Amino acid sequence: MSIETANDKTVLVWDLPTRLFHWCVVALVFVSWLSADQGWMTIHLASGLILLALLLFRLGWGLFGSTTARFSNFLHPPRRVLGYLKSLKDGDRLLYAGHNPAGGLMVMAMILVLLGQALTGLFANDGLKFNGPLALLIPSEASDSITSIHRLIFDAILLLIWCHVVAVGFYLLVKRDNLVLPMLTGRKPHSHLPQGVELAFTRLIIALLLFFLSAGIAAWIMIEGASLP
Amino acid sequence: MAGEASARLSAPAYFISVLLLTLAGFGAAMLARPAFGHAVLQWARLEPVPRALPGSFYTARVAPLFQDRCVGCHGETRQKAGLRLDSFAEVMLGSRHGAVVRPGDAKHSELFTRISLPPSDDKAMPPSGKTPLTDDEVTVVRLWIAHGASPATAAIKGAPKLVKPVTIPELDLARAAKQRAPLAAAVQQVQQRLPGVVDYQSRSSAGLEVDASLMGARFGDADLAMLKPLAMQIVQADFSGTSVTDSSASALAAMTGLERLRVANTKISDTTIQALAPLKKLRSLSVTGTKVTGAGLTSLRQKGVAIYADADVH
Repeated sequence: MSIETANDKTVLVWDLPTRLFHWCVVALVFVSWLSADQGWMTIHLASGLILLALLLFRLGWGLFGSTTARFSNFLHPPRRVLGYLKSLKDGDRLLYAGHNPAGGLMVMAMILVLLGQALTGLFANDGLKFNGPLALLIPSEASDSITSIHRLIFDAILLLIWCHVVAVGFYLLVKRDNLVLPMLTGRKPHSHLPQGVELAFTRLIIALLLFFLSAGIAAWIMIEGASLP
Repeated sequence: MAGEASARLSAPAYFISVLLLTLAGFGAAMLARPAFGHAVLQWARLEPVPRALPGSFYTARVAPLFQDRCVGCHGETRQKAGLRLDSFAEVMLGSRHGAVVRPGDAKHSELFTRISLPPSDDKAMPPSGKTPLTDDEVTVVRLWIAHGASPATAAIKGAPKLVKPVTIPELDLARAAKQRAPLAAAVQQVQQRLPGVVDYQSRSSAGLEVDASLMGARFGDADLAMLKPLAMQIVQADFSGTSVTDSSASALAAMTGLERLRVANTKISDTTIQALAPLKKLRSLSVTGTKVTGAGLTSLRQKGVAIYADADVH
């Protein structure tokens, strides 16, 4: 790990893997929705498997990644989440270098729901000719039930996206804090950080290794699925 | 900083804006996808749920077809592609990809397109492995959509005639064996005494057929008397060319289940015919070459029994 010091104006808070993960997930959720809506199931399968690989990577990155990417950094007990929300209301908002406690909760919820979506997709079918890569391992009735869950989870994803966008808009328009730009550049204004914060960044090679491991798992699922009769 | 502060929205203003934008987005989605819009309005009871009339073409011809061929995958328990075809309202709401029926335009209705595709096509419905719809069934759907996909239209000119399915009951040998049991021993006994004369109508029936015509004159009243224990189970009897006489009238009258009787070329007369009057199930009687007269047959004729007699017997 290397320690990055803050400069006068902006400070690096989001590492490249975290940012890439975020925007790739945005793109993949959109592609997954569009492909399912249009019946482009091969593309849907590909986007789902890539999404699964990314989510597995993110779980690893949440354990071994940079400070702001770690679950231990942004997952807080409910009391602290409520305290943060109260501070928002009172106007003396607590500052966090990475995700604030409410945002951290949202991130975890999104990861879990997307993971649920990707995993149910493995066993789902489109009611026609397309089956998820592992759908043939289970009875067709079970696959149909999982397909229903897959659709319900999509509604949950829409709800979470709505909450996410509303929250980002709230920070931008009400709190005058642009959360989108840092997720692009990785840098936050120094004034938006708590005093004396020190961030550690994990080397990119670790991220690459984690990603290849995750991609390998997704590829293995695909290959196993293809070998089913 | 003053400019920044002036551009800042208050939290209530922001959340009211969010609410309005969300509602607008929801409204736009309802307009963009009318099926979704109708589903929401019907769910909120702001729009009546359309129902097909009992005597309509949809109810009589289209709904049973969907029930038989489609509802297994597009019904209450399974809704593949988000499509339900188990009610008129659901059909008109369409699938999660939008409407499947365009009233008046069968050619561009997804439902018709899918059922008219060749079975080898990936998008054909029912999917491969399941029996495709018949030409008549496809025509029924096409005509219904082409005539406005109405829930009320009673009849559509040119529609294929309704074919009533014939239900063939399954062979129930156990039931037949149970019905045969009381007389099984008696039947067997007669079969041994009169080989080839008595047999069951079919494998699944307890009804008996008697054919003594092959024995000719060797079969007489004494032989017919041997059938008495089986009388109630005899459905069809042929004594043509035998030496049966009016002495067997009471034995014949005891055959209360008799439907068809042939006593042609025997010595029977009106006496036997009169004895047959109480047989309620008798439908056909052959008396050619006998002494039976037209007067003797009057009462049976009045009951609707088909009589086969000599040309001079009226």
